Amino acid sequence: MPGAKGGQGLVEPIVLVTPGIALLFGAFLFPVGQILVLSVVPSGEELGAWSNFARFFADDYYLRVAWRTFRLSLLITAATALIGFPLAYAMARAPRWLAFLLLLLTVLPLMTSVVVRTFGWMMVLGRGGPVTDLLMLFGLSARSAVLLQTETGIVVAMVQVLLPFMVLTTLGVIAGIHPHLEEAARTMGAGFYRTLRHVVLPLSLPGLVSGSLLVFAISMSSFITPNLIGGVRLPVMASAIYQQAIHTLDWGFAAAQSTLLLIAVLGLLVPYLALMRRARV
Amino acid sequence: MTFLAIENVGKRFGHTTALDGVSLGIERGSFVALLGPSGCGKSTLLRIIAGLETPTFGRITVDGEDITRLPPERRRLAMMFQSYALLPHMTALENVRFPLRMQGREGAAEQRRRAMETLALVGLDHLAERLPREMSGGQQQRVALARAIIAEPRVLLLDEPLSNLDARLREDMQIELQALHRRLGLTTLFVTHDQEEALSLADRVVLLNQGRIDRDATADALYDDPGTAFAADFLGAANLVPVTVEATEDGHTAILEDGQRLQLASAPGPGPRQLVLRQEDITLADPSEPGLEATIEARIFLGTRVRYLVRLGDLRLRVLAPRHLQYPPGTPVRLQIDPANCRWSREGP
Repeated sequence: MPGAKGGQGLVEPIVLVTPGIALLFGAFLFPVGQILVLSVVPSGEELGAWSNFARFFADDYYLRVAWRTFRLSLLITAATALIGFPLAYAMARAPRWLAFLLLLLTVLPLMTSVVVRTFGWMMVLGRGGPVTDLLMLFGLSARSAVLLQTETGIVVAMVQVLLPFMVLTTLGVIAGIHPHLEEAARTMGAGFYRTLRHVVLPLSLPGLVSGSLLVFAISMSSFITPNLIGGVRLPVMASAIYQQAIHTLDWGFAAAQSTLLLIAVLGLLVPYLALMRRARV
Repeated sequence: MTFLAIENVGKRFGHTTALDGVSLGIERGSFVALLGPSGCGKSTLLRIIAGLETPTFGRITVDGEDITRLPPERRRLAMMFQSYALLPHMTALENVRFPLRMQGREGAAEQRRRAMETLALVGLDHLAERLPREMSGGQQQRVALARAIIAEPRVLLLDEPLSNLDARLREDMQIELQALHRRLGLTTLFVTHDQEEALSLADRVVLLNQGRIDRDATADALYDDPGTAFAADFLGAANLVPVTVEATEDGHTAILEDGQRLQLASAPGPGPRQLVLRQEDITLADPSEPGLEATIEARIFLGTRVRYLVRLGDLRLRVLAPRHLQYPPGTPVRLQIDPANCRWSREGP
C-alpha cells in the first residue's frame, strides 16, 4: 500500500502544527484583520473610505508623533547594537563561568516585569535621582537636570529593556564563528580591533541584523516604557493609538494608525527575510 | 646559524604540563617536523611560536630578536591551520590578499596583482573569485598555503598540513610543499602525528613525548636508529629488543629476556643493552631452519610487501617480508638476523 505511508507522513506534521496555526489565526491574524477592516471603514456617513488615513497625514500632531516614534526607534536600535555587539562577543569568547555570569546578568531583566523595571528607571532618572546628582556633581548641568520626560530618558530606558534581545540573537551567531578565523587573522598581521572589524563583525552581521529588526519592531510598537518615562508631553504612536481607542473612542482612527505602524514594520521585515533567503541559497 | 631559537620553553595549563622545557634551534631555510602523538605538546609549541599561546617560561627568538612577548600580528610569521581557517566571507583572492592588506604597504591594485601571482604559484589563479565554500578541500588548502606565503614570513608554521586530505591529494600536496620550500627557501616548521608524513617531508624530525623532546635527528638517522623505546614504538619501523650481552670466546652473545641467544659480530661490552632491529632486516624462516623461535601473530597486507607482527617471548616485533611469504597467524617461525644489521640504541634499557 504505497498510499498509506505517504498519508501517514502528512498526518503527523499537520497534528504538530495545528495548535500553533490555530493560535496564530485566532489570536493574531483575525484581530489584525479586524483592525485593517476597521481602518478603512468610514467613521461617519459624510466621510470617504480612506478618511482616517487622510486625517493622519493632514494633522501635523500625528505626523510629529510618528516621526518621533521612528526616530527614537532608530536611536534605540543603534544604541543596543553598539552596546550589544561587544557584550555578545565577550560572552562568546569568555571562559565558561564568566560567560554564564554575563548571560545571567543579561537575561535576568527579562524575568522582571517591564513595569517594575520602568518604575526603577523613573526613580533613577527623576528629580533627586542618582543620574541628576551625578550630572550636577561633574558640573555637566547647572540646575537639577531631569531626564524623566525627555527623549534621552526614553532611549536610555528602552535600550536597557531591549538589550537582551540584541545580545542573545548576536551571541548565537558569534558563537558559531570558529576562533581559528580570528587567530588566523592575528597571525596575518591584524591586531585585535582590526580582527574584530574585518573578521568578527562581517561574520556576525546576520545576527546583528536580525537583532536590530527585533529591537526596532518592538521599539516602534512599545507602549509602557515610553509612556511612563516620556509622559503625556512626548507621546509615541502606541500611546497615541491607546489614547484614540480608550479615551476618544475613535476606533477607526486608532485602527488606521495601527495599520500604518504595521506597514512600517513589515516594510523592513519583508526585504530582510527575502535577503536572508537569497543569502542562504 | 640558528635562525629560530626556542630556549627552555614550557607551558602549563592549570595542573597539566603541556610543554616541559623544550629547547630547539632551527636553521634558516630548513624544513623541520615536530612529530608526536596527540597531547605530546607539539601543537602547543607551534601556537606559542605563532604567538597564539603565552609560554609559562622560556624564550623564543627569530633572527636574534626576542619575540616571546610580541602579539601574533607583529611577529611576521605565518601559520597554516589544520582547518585552513579561510575567511568564509572573502573570495580566494581576497583571502590571499588579506596579509598584504593588513600590512598596508602597497596600493590595492598592487596587492591584488601580488595575490593573483601567489594564487598562480599554487595553480589556483582560475578560481580567484570563488568563495571558500565553493571550493574542494584540496583547493581550500592551496588557498591557505598561498595566504601563508604571500607576505614573505620569516618562519612558515604548518599545523598538520596533510591530515585532512585523501591519499592521492596528500601525495600532490607533499610534492608541492617540497617544491615550494626549495623554491622560496622559507624556514618551515610543521606539526604532525603521522610519522610517514614527517619522515617524507622534513629534513629534520623532532620527536616530542609528554612535553619533552625525545629525539631530534634527520629522517634517515631516526629511521635507522630510533634510539629510544618511545621512538621505536612510535615510528614502528624498527624494533627495540632488550638483551643482556655476554662476552664469549668467539665474540659476543646477546641473551634475550626469554633466554634465547643471538650471536653478535660486535657489542659495546657486556651488560644490559637495547638492540635495534629494523623491520626489513629480520628474515622469516620455517621452524626447521636455525634462528630465534617466534610465533606469527598477525599478517598485514601492504601491497608490495607484507608486515608480520611476530611474538618473541614477551615482545611483539614488526617484520617486513616479501609478498610471496604466506605464514598465517599462529604459525611457529624462526627469525634470522644478520649480525651485521644489529645496531645498538643510544639509550640503555
